[in-house]
Amino acid sequence: MNTTTDSNQPAIEARGLRRSYGTGAAGFEAVRGVDLIVPRGTITALLGTNGAGKTSTMEVIEGLAPATAGEVRMLGMDPIKQRADVRRRTGVLLQASGFPGDLTVRETLEMWGATVSAARPVDEALEVLDLTHRAEVKMRSLSGGETRRVDLACTLTGDPDVVLLDEPTTGLDPESRREVWRLVEGLRERGATVLITTHYLDEAEALADRVEIMHGGRIVRSGTTAEIVSDHPSSIRFAHLAADSVLPDLSATSISRTGAHTVVETDDLQATLHELLGWAHQHCVRLDDLSADTASLEKVFLAIADGSADATTHDSTHQSTQLEGNNR
Amino acid sequence: MSITTPSSRAIGLTRANWRLMLRNRLTLAYGLILPLLPMLFLFSGTRGDDTIAMTSSTTVIFLLMLFPVYYNLLSMFVSRRDELVLKRLRTGEARDSELITSMAMPGVLITLVITLAAVMLGFPLGQQVPTNPILLLAVVLLGAGVFTALALWTAAWTRTAEAAQITSMPVILLASVGPMAPIFPESARRFVELTPGSAMDTLVRLSWFGYDDGSQLDFAATWGASSGPMLVLAAWVLIGWALARTYMHWEPRH
Repeated sequence: MNTTTDSNQPAIEARGLRRSYGTGAAGFEAVRGVDLIVPRGTITALLGTNGAGKTSTMEVIEGLAPATAGEVRMLGMDPIKQRADVRRRTGVLLQASGFPGDLTVRETLEMWGATVSAARPVDEALEVLDLTHRAEVKMRSLSGGETRRVDLACTLTGDPDVVLLDEPTTGLDPESRREVWRLVEGLRERGATVLITTHYLDEAEALADRVEIMHGGRIVRSGTTAEIVSDHPSSIRFAHLAADSVLPDLSATSISRTGAHTVVETDDLQATLHELLGWAHQHCVRLDDLSADTASLEKVFLAIADGSADATTHDSTHQSTQLEGNNR
Repeated sequence: MSITTPSSRAIGLTRANWRLMLRNRLTLAYGLILPLLPMLFLFSGTRGDDTIAMTSSTTVIFLLMLFPVYYNLLSMFVSRRDELVLKRLRTGEARDSELITSMAMPGVLITLVITLAAVMLGFPLGQQVPTNPILLLAVVLLGAGVFTALALWTAAWTRTAEAAQITSMPVILLASVGPMAPIFPESARRFVELTPGSAMDTLVRLSWFGYDDGSQLDFAATWGASSGPMLVLAAWVLIGWALARTYMHWEPRH
């Protein structure tokens, strides 16, 4: 990989990334060959269940831990060997972190600001995160959500080009979550690149240009939400027909009976639904509890998590996404 | 764009750590009051008695090394590691060396201030001014380097700030065995003299009182006489930092 900061390069690039903990029988490989490209000026969500390897991957990208194997480039630079240059242009929010409890919010931001190039004035940082009224309160007296907002204020104080957010909204109330979403969208508007991990699928759907789903230390789905969802069938459900009823020959992926319902899975919801309703009308059959659901990110995610979906590496972009992004 | 420098980052962090130290009454008491208590020895015995003055001065420096420098850094490092403060700070531009410097600096500054206070308070009570103040300053700074490194090393096997009361024992022993050297048999004394506590004890007597194993030395002669124990201290700086570098960790181990 190139080591310059060419603006055509992706903001983040990882190749064959591996990270292990411990050695021998007690050893555990948390990241098992991750390839990841985050184009500049985009928001990419890294999804995965607990233990999927998201935070371990993030820590290697952040330069907090070395990779056991593979390579990472942040803005074309090695995050460990070129630490100073990378850190100057990066904002990091850890999944869990702390601040000295005896400092006030203002003093905490002053401390952090002293270590950040081009830090914005403390009053401005307080205002952006709606913390002005809590400026003189000690950190130990803040709620979990307020502490998270101070953490975010520190992350964003240097106007970073690349922002790495590890579960930024965990523990926040719905209103604060929306506020964080607005902030993240604001980052994209000013051309920053964001890599975000989250448990909330609605968050990924609302914010991300691209989604990477991790499972068992690997990225198993990659693409836009629409691309990922397009690989997953839609479903039609209705209450069981009489036992001797024979369904028509639907152009469906599969038909199964679960509990009291029949489930029809299809890649073409409109055509299959049309066929089914036509058949029912023609044969005067009433389809009770009829519902039709298009595939969703949640369905794909749950299918991967419970093992019912193919969990081998699968790029859903169909090569349609050029990784140039919006160069800054 | 204003770019931060190593010194600007270290100063900013030191300011915050200083503020935190001033807000911790227990740390302040251990750092500011306890080390000055041996000055009360000067009120006993004959005014100007060098033996009492030496006991007082060496104990002041010993307590300064143990509390504001060693124990303060050990408990600060362990508790902040435990609370993930250090992990958070490492995501910023500050380098590890700057984080360590900023955590050690408040204790070192207190040590310098209290040493100066001990000189100034001792003088009206009959204690002599240091024979070689430059050497005394070098000894205090070198000693601070040794005990800073040993604090980071101790932190490697200290899980919580409370556990530091136990895990600090080996270093406290290493520091306190020095003044007890005279009670050891000759064969053991040679090894005791290789401890940082013993080297500090000898060097404080030498730099402050010109005292070298019964003889009285002048300013110039103290330099030559200090080479042996200074080498011992320098070796401990290297050993301490090598141990700290090898074993210390910035995140809690579960």
